[in-house]
Amino acid sequence: MDAQFAIVGRDFAISVTDTGVSRSIVKMKHNQDKSWQLTPYTIMTVTGEPGDIEMFSEYIQSNIKLYSVRNAQDLTPKEIANFIRGELAEALRSRNAFSVNLLVTGFDKVTGEASLYRIDYLASMAKVPFGSHATPSFILYSVLDREYTPDITLEQGLEIVKKCIAALKTRFVVDMPEFTVKVVDAQGTRSIDIVQV
Amino acid sequence: MSPILESAAGFKFDNVKRNQLLSEKGNAAPRATKTGTTIVGLIFKDGIILGADTRATSGPIVADKNCEKIHYLAPNMYCCGAGTAADTEFTTSMASSQLALHSLNTGREARVATAMTMLKQYLFRYQGHIGAYLVLGGYDVTGPHLYTIHAHGSTDKLPFVTMGSGSLAAMSVFESRWRAGLSREEGIELVKDAIEAGIFNDLGSGSNVDVCVITRNNVEYLRNYVMPNERVEKEQSYKFAPGTTEFIVPKPPATLSGEEEGTAMDVSA
Amino acid sequence: MSIMEYCGAAIVAMVGKDCVAIASDKRLGQQQLTVDMEFQKVFPITERTYIGLSGLATDVKTLHDRLRMRVNLYKHREERVIEPKTFTHLLSHMLYERRFGSYFISPVVAGLDKNNRPYICALDTIGCIDSSSDFVVCGTAATNLYGACESLWEPDLGPEELFETISQTLLSSIDRDAMSGWGAVVHIITPSGVITRDLKSRMD
Repeated sequence: MDAQFAIVGRDFAISVTDTGVSRSIVKMKHNQDKSWQLTPYTIMTVTGEPGDIEMFSEYIQSNIKLYSVRNAQDLTPKEIANFIRGELAEALRSRNAFSVNLLVTGFDKVTGEASLYRIDYLASMAKVPFGSHATPSFILYSVLDREYTPDITLEQGLEIVKKCIAALKTRFVVDMPEFTVKVVDAQGTRSIDIVQV
Repeated sequence: MSPILESAAGFKFDNVKRNQLLSEKGNAAPRATKTGTTIVGLIFKDGIILGADTRATSGPIVADKNCEKIHYLAPNMYCCGAGTAADTEFTTSMASSQLALHSLNTGREARVATAMTMLKQYLFRYQGHIGAYLVLGGYDVTGPHLYTIHAHGSTDKLPFVTMGSGSLAAMSVFESRWRAGLSREEGIELVKDAIEAGIFNDLGSGSNVDVCVITRNNVEYLRNYVMPNERVEKEQSYKFAPGTTEFIVPKPPATLSGEEEGTAMDVSA
Repeated sequence: MSIMEYCGAAIVAMVGKDCVAIASDKRLGQQQLTVDMEFQKVFPITERTYIGLSGLATDVKTLHDRLRMRVNLYKHREERVIEPKTFTHLLSHMLYERRFGSYFISPVVAGLDKNNRPYICALDTIGCIDSSSDFVVCGTAATNLYGACESLWEPDLGPEELFETISQTLLSSIDRDAMSGWGAVVHIITPSGVITRDLKSRMD
């Protein structure tokens, strides 16, 4: 059971995932980074079927890298999200569908806006101010609905992230001791140690 | 020439795998619009009379109160459709274009038997999965002909026929009153009564009666020949006072599909 | 649960006097979970033809993308703007082409033709056209909308009257549908342009 969520402010986006990997009842790993860097200004977090995650994410990551190399220009978050959705929708119609849920967060250098695209395994895509997937989303959405406003600052955003993590730790049955928190803004992407915030 | 009724493109099956996946997850498939339907046809002294009701249903909902179920096939031929509405619509329109090409190729008016054969071969090929149940009537060089064609590809040639969910109600009228050599007026009256039997006694049929009279070198399409179920006018107006609904004008106007805003070129070093 | 009820939608189109209106809710759901409250379901196809797509969200996007391509191709080949009726038949064929593996979409089309005559119609998932001279509906709130439309619609409503009628029809219908709501948008298509308004609605 993976938790992932993301929040968008005016000029920044925060992406959060838990770090646990488990098979059946066994914890296999506790420091897995579930986010994938696509361009310096775009990351995606992926949860779902473990094998599918790797296959699909590597495919997407490689192709977006290829585009950047070929064209000497990076795709914008919007273009990336639409590309991912297209690939997922096509795969869904083939013999090997990918069971993956994604959050694509990014910062558009040209417009100066941050954005978040929520894509589920059916390739439904929505541009949202905050998003989450699967079972943890039932807990997270209630916190996000209450705390979020469109004009939050990065500090306020990180406060919301803390509250979300606190809600997961107190109310969610699955133990999630650690989280990866990443911020995307005009400076690019950086990891943030949530304990130090 | 391409095989009869086969379009260059044909059906596409790209969604099938995904739809199977979704139904395995327990999601029920959507409901197609059905015609429910009472459709009839009979032979009278001078030709053929076809009749149909005008109700289309989607499950228990009346999807269309005044649809057209008598489809054009050729200048001398019309065809009533029952079953899955999209199937009757597309099957008859494909047959119609094939018949037009056939007439142009042969330089003759197409025969009813030709249309019947086209339709039955097409439907048989799809083993009943194309849910078109048809009453085909027309007048050609060999005289008037009336057929029923079932979705699996079987056909009957009879002097009076009924189809659809209201076929039993309609047939009871035909069985008691049809005879050889009916006049035009008697024929239309009988068709009207048969359709009305369906309209009033079968829930899948309703609204109005469409009639089509096909004789040698002439067709009379009597759309909404009788309208026994017209809604009474409302006694009062239910207009809302201006300003009833609270609204805001959204800032960015919806972008036109053809002119979605592009990404500005990045000109930074 | 039917796949058509997975995301939730309420879309309605109405004919007025020399104008048409199309309105939809804005919710995107995954069954009981609301994911987005600004989800676009009504799209402009030309300056005076709009389409509403209800059903599975992934197909809303896929179908809209493909329609955009086909309409743009039409514009290039024909050097003219597609008429609402022509567009409806284009759409109908695209849907029927997938008769045995359909898109989970039931669309509504609303527009004014070149003579400013109103045109509205609804299609089922496999492309059967249900054209109407008064109103058409689709989505999870379709049954509710049918009832409200039958009572509230009347002929020859002007643009502002039509706005009130379609808005109140939509708002009362989504109040009794759990799967749709969370904001609504109305487009009134008139010969002089399109009026777009966001409605204030219940958010529950």
